[in-house]
Amino acid sequence: MIQVKDLTKDYGPRRAIDHLNFSVNKGDVVGFLGPNGAGKSTTMKIITGFMAPSHGTASVAGFDVFENPLEVKKRIGYLPETPPVYADMYVRDYLRYVAALKQVPKALIEKSVDMAIEKTNLGEVQNRLIHHLSKGFKQRVGIAQAIVSDPEVLILDEPTVGLDPKQVAEIRDLIKALRGQHTIILSTHILPEVQATCEKIIIINKGKIVAEDSIHHLATMEQGQSRLLVRVHRDVQDMKSVLSDIREVVSVQAGTSAKEWRIDVRGGDDVIAAISSRLVNNGLGLLEFSPSKLDLEDVFLKLTYGEKGGEA
Amino acid sequence: MSGTLTIFKKEVKGFYANPTFWIICFLVSLIFSWIYPIQLNMFAQLLMNYVMQQGIPANQLNIHYGVFLRQLSYLNLLLIFVTPALTMKLFAEEKKLRTFDLLLTSPVTSLQIVLGKYLAALGAMGGIVLLALSYPVATAALAKLNWGPLLIAFFGIFLVGGVYTAMNLFCSSLTENSLVAYVMSVILNVSIWFVGIGAEVVDSEVARKVFEHVSLSTHLSSLVEGTIRTNSLVFFASLIVLFCFLAERVVESSRWR
Repeated sequence: MIQVKDLTKDYGPRRAIDHLNFSVNKGDVVGFLGPNGAGKSTTMKIITGFMAPSHGTASVAGFDVFENPLEVKKRIGYLPETPPVYADMYVRDYLRYVAALKQVPKALIEKSVDMAIEKTNLGEVQNRLIHHLSKGFKQRVGIAQAIVSDPEVLILDEPTVGLDPKQVAEIRDLIKALRGQHTIILSTHILPEVQATCEKIIIINKGKIVAEDSIHHLATMEQGQSRLLVRVHRDVQDMKSVLSDIREVVSVQAGTSAKEWRIDVRGGDDVIAAISSRLVNNGLGLLEFSPSKLDLEDVFLKLTYGEKGGEA
Repeated sequence: MSGTLTIFKKEVKGFYANPTFWIICFLVSLIFSWIYPIQLNMFAQLLMNYVMQQGIPANQLNIHYGVFLRQLSYLNLLLIFVTPALTMKLFAEEKKLRTFDLLLTSPVTSLQIVLGKYLAALGAMGGIVLLALSYPVATAALAKLNWGPLLIAFFGIFLVGGVYTAMNLFCSSLTENSLVAYVMSVILNVSIWFVGIGAEVVDSEVARKVFEHVSLSTHLSSLVEGTIRTNSLVFFASLIVLFCFLAERVVESSRWR
């Protein structure tokens, strides 16, 4: 669906992105991950035909974004970092305008607007001025304008930035709901967002792709090890000695108190079972025992900031 | 062309549904409501006394010259300052609020964006010209008017307004700051009247002719007297096309800059 080849963009002497190559298949939800200033927005702007690359090509649905921008733009819904909403328009009028701009046939405009309003839950504010809406609602209007033309490709640039946790959850749910009908590229520097919504991630740093794989692979690829969070009822002075004869334990770190521990292990379920039975047999009063979800974060930090950053 | 129409509709609605536009209309009509009756009154007194006065130019006894043209010059003065206020936001605000991203990622060409916005600004500016025209039209209740020259004169001022609109739209496309766009526009609107002055200082016949041809006042003066000349129409049209073209280039440039 989206093909990017040797994409390069220079802002004066500064190279924002450097020979990017990747492709996205139809129906994929791809997370575009990287620290601030890594070139995420630049890449997205080029794919949407907003700006031209210095070098290389990008194509959407077989149309080159530079040679045939109008065909590409018809197929794309784009939410920039700041939602492009007019403060002095009513939500419904604004969506109608965007639909007309995106060349939705006249007869279908009302229907498309209804659909977008329904999907983004904007029903109660549809007749209000955008100026009077809260940031979260404005962001939702931004998403509504991206999906109003029912585009094949959705490009969302940091869709949850600046929202409160409830709104973030709502927008994530919305993105999940859109999965399947659209090919989605989602840029963010927030990891849980990618974990919650995407199937595949592309990690970019300083304009270059440092990793491109499915979430599951990335999470396990780097270490082949997993981290266990353990909380026990009794204070333990030296967890290491308790687990000393289990060879697969890589490291043991204390948490906030002598009751909480982080245990890194190499190996599969049998190791985890061995550890849990050891804790129980020692009468420590096992309260909590969970495999950590932090793996991806570690991978990310390692890839983008190097080993040292990972420790920090 | 549907892109042009969509943008045109949205912008026209933006003008006419916005209180700012109506406040401007109110202030313009306030000025005319003050000046116009005074002009009319002075003209009426002149007519009553003209037998006793010597050396009055004959054309001052014509309501077209005595009243309407003076009103037109005031209208022109107002347009120099009002047109920038109408156009300043058209691009500058879009860039500032990042709504420009939406236009640039929609399936419309730069030309369609500029045309849609230009025509909408023309519609708003034309509204003010119509407002001014309502004063002479109201005068028709008191006097018998020669409609031809009157309408052509207002058409002439509308064309000049069209030139302002194009220039000011271009200024707006250059910056993210509405205020900068406004100041730039006013300076451009004023300075275009001074180009013709060159005709008085050059010696060569050819240069003088050139200056005369590029002078806005030469072309306007024939129109306000009620004659439509093709070269004037071509001149106004080419100025409008030039500045719309420049604005289009600026909009297009943001795609590759």
